[in-house]
Amino acid sequence: MTAATAVHSTFAMPSPSDGDQRKSSDERALVVSAQQGSGEAFAALVRLHQRRAYAVCRAIVLTHEDAEDAVQEGFLHAFRALDRFLPDQPFGAWLYRIMANASLDLVRRRKVRDADELSESSPAPFRDPGEADELRRRLTEALTRLTDRQRSVIVLHDVQGFTHGEIGSMLGIPEGTARSDLHHARAALRRILKDVRSDI
Amino acid sequence: MRGLTTHNDDNDEEIARELRAIYAAPSGEIYWNDLEARIMGRIVEVDLGWWAELDRWARPALVAAAVLILAAGVAMFRARQVETQTAYEHILTPSPVPVETVIRPTLEGDREASLRDVVGSKDRSNGRP
Repeated sequence: MTAATAVHSTFAMPSPSDGDQRKSSDERALVVSAQQGSGEAFAALVRLHQRRAYAVCRAIVLTHEDAEDAVQEGFLHAFRALDRFLPDQPFGAWLYRIMANASLDLVRRRKVRDADELSESSPAPFRDPGEADELRRRLTEALTRLTDRQRSVIVLHDVQGFTHGEIGSMLGIPEGTARSDLHHARAALRRILKDVRSDI
Repeated sequence: MRGLTTHNDDNDEEIARELRAIYAAPSGEIYWNDLEARIMGRIVEVDLGWWAELDRWARPALVAAAVLILAAGVAMFRARQVETQTAYEHILTPSPVPVETVIRPTLEGDREASLRDVVGSKDRSNGRP
């Protein structure tokens, strides 16, 4: 089991197994140690969570570079706020909420700063011919047409595997809103897929 | 996807597959080790920067604050001591002027005039010039 999947299991599973409980208590020990000023312990937490943190950020921002920035900002915020974290709470949930907030902040800053360049900063299109590439290109384009929240919800759910509840908690929206956003985002992307099929 | 047709399930699966390809995280330990190093680098930089700056100002600021607090404490203590002493002396020392003889300065002139008037009229009734 990779670190990323291990982290995900502690975040998502309501009734952890013995292995998960051990990992959870190990993680708690790391958190307590980091709270007492151990840089090594915090580095271990970074190592444990950075993949998942990247996935959360990548779902919200538009580019890989922005996701990297958001991950670094998020860990910095987490480090500063570590004293306020209660070790009994799940660290992953707390951290990913911080990551989501850092990403949303970055998206807002980008919008204000370079509103004109936003559409150009979408992920690089795939230029190879063929249906799969055409679909990917159209999807990439379509993703920029979704609202930030719809895009985040569909990527967090369909790509990263978070539940509606976890997504709601991360983005600060009710679970029902996350469901509704997912429904609308899928419908929009389905329309794109249908258009691609009829074009080819 | 629950509650949708099989056709939609297929489409959604295809979309999800493409999305996973678009949003695929970088693979390879080198990338993640590098990212971890960058994260920790920023944290150390901010942490040290903050503490170094704080440390530079903290000691003189703490000494100045301690001196100020000490001076204020001594001043307050002395003021209180003087106040207590004055109040104590004021209670114990008898007043040199009886209370009833104290006359409001504004009434003093009127009273003297009345006194002179009474004494004068008494002298006049005794036949003195």
